[in-house]
Amino acid sequence: MKTFLILLSLLCASVAHSQTLKVGMRVQKTNGMYWENGISAQYTFANFKPNQFFIGFDFVTSRLGTAMNSNAIKQDNYLISGSWFFNKDKQYHFVTRLNFGYFYSDLEEEVFDEIPNTSFLFSPEVGFTYAFIKIPIALNLGTGYYILGKEEGYSPGTLQPFYYHLDIYYVLFKNRSK
Amino acid sequence: MKKIGLIVMFLVVAFTFSCVDPEITDAMLDGDVIFDPSLYTPENYLVSAKYPNPTAADLNRHIIMAIHGYSSTTFEWQEFADLSVDSTYRISQVLLDGHGTTYQDFKASTWKDWSHAIKQEYEKLIALGYKKISLVGSSTGGTLILELVSSGYFNARQSPKNLFLIDPIVVPSNKVQTIAGIVGPMIVYIEVDQTAQEDKYWYHFRPQETVNELNSLMKVVRKDLEEGVTLPTGTYLKEFHSLHDPVASTTSAVLIYKGLKTSTGAKIDVQLMDSDIHVFTRLSFRKNVTTLQIYNQQSAFAQIASRLK
Repeated sequence: MKTFLILLSLLCASVAHSQTLKVGMRVQKTNGMYWENGISAQYTFANFKPNQFFIGFDFVTSRLGTAMNSNAIKQDNYLISGSWFFNKDKQYHFVTRLNFGYFYSDLEEEVFDEIPNTSFLFSPEVGFTYAFIKIPIALNLGTGYYILGKEEGYSPGTLQPFYYHLDIYYVLFKNRSK
Repeated sequence: MKKIGLIVMFLVVAFTFSCVDPEITDAMLDGDVIFDPSLYTPENYLVSAKYPNPTAADLNRHIIMAIHGYSSTTFEWQEFADLSVDSTYRISQVLLDGHGTTYQDFKASTWKDWSHAIKQEYEKLIALGYKKISLVGSSTGGTLILELVSSGYFNARQSPKNLFLIDPIVVPSNKVQTIAGIVGPMIVYIEVDQTAQEDKYWYHFRPQETVNELNSLMKVVRKDLEEGVTLPTGTYLKEFHSLHDPVASTTSAVLIYKGLKTSTGAKIDVQLMDSDIHVFTRLSFRKNVTTLQIYNQQSAFAQIASRLK
């Protein structure tokens, strides 16, 4: 509990000193597989490469995509990321990102308990971001590829490697650089 | 100007790659020497060809059409045929169109072509008066059967008695397969690591065009399953799937189970086999066959046969 409180305090302190915090929605399509939509958040620190180095959290799920009102498999992706934004003084940025995370698919029936349905995720990603000046909105287009090391037949079938997404962010606060 | 040069160079390289054909030998099915034997002697493989004038006793028998998978031939079901020589049911081993001849024929075929031979034999058997027709499909053969169900093909015809699916592919295990449409034109074909014996019955080279066709078929079936599919009235279906199938992801079994219901709204039967081979019912030419693999094969064959009495 003590550790948790310390970590929470550190996180709050970090956010308080954040240069930029933006939150929004993600629309994601995996090539040859599902639409998986969800939320995305990106923030950068005032005292470490402000507006260049971002850390992020993303959650996308087929429950808000293909599996909504269909027999598609309900699956969730939890990702944390580190991103580098090029052209930091401009409205548009080319972005490179590394994602780490966890995948879970709900196979529902007991008979399928032995089928692989979880996986750790790692993916490099490239993208393009555009931030509007007069409104606190930023758009990001990205594409990435999950590097899945497991032997064929031992990883979840509906986890496929190549994906692309659109993020629409609302910039909660954006402090000026000193 | 430099950019234009790079684009032209890329197009030239892409075009050059797309014209490359694999080095095919006469010892391969891909060549123009070895063809599937059902093309020469269909009466040894197709019930409609062997019994063109069936008697009342013939018509009273169960007929099971055995459908092989992508890039394979009638050989895939030969073990079941050999086992069933003295049985009361008869097996019709169907060769999918576009298969069993040359690499070029295979390359030019579409998944709708593959399905054509199944429809042709099914309709011939009905026309001859058979009432008890079942189908068993391995891998893509199973997927093609699912497509016939989901497209409503059987609704306008006599319903099949039983449908059996062995390792049907709705989702691939190979993670690169879903991007075949992107990388396909660069890789042109996929070379399969198989023995010289297997080279006579399975294509050694898989043209990227056919991989895309397989992807299209899977997409159609997956979409239909997502929306929900109902079996024809009175048709029984069971799916068998290897737990760690290296080709057709076992998640395919989940998608079929979730998306397919009997005509009364009941769930279909599904059985996961303790296996890590694709098409566990084919053991011929496999290396180091285990007791468990033989047990799995015989168990599936026995279950299929028991529904044909």
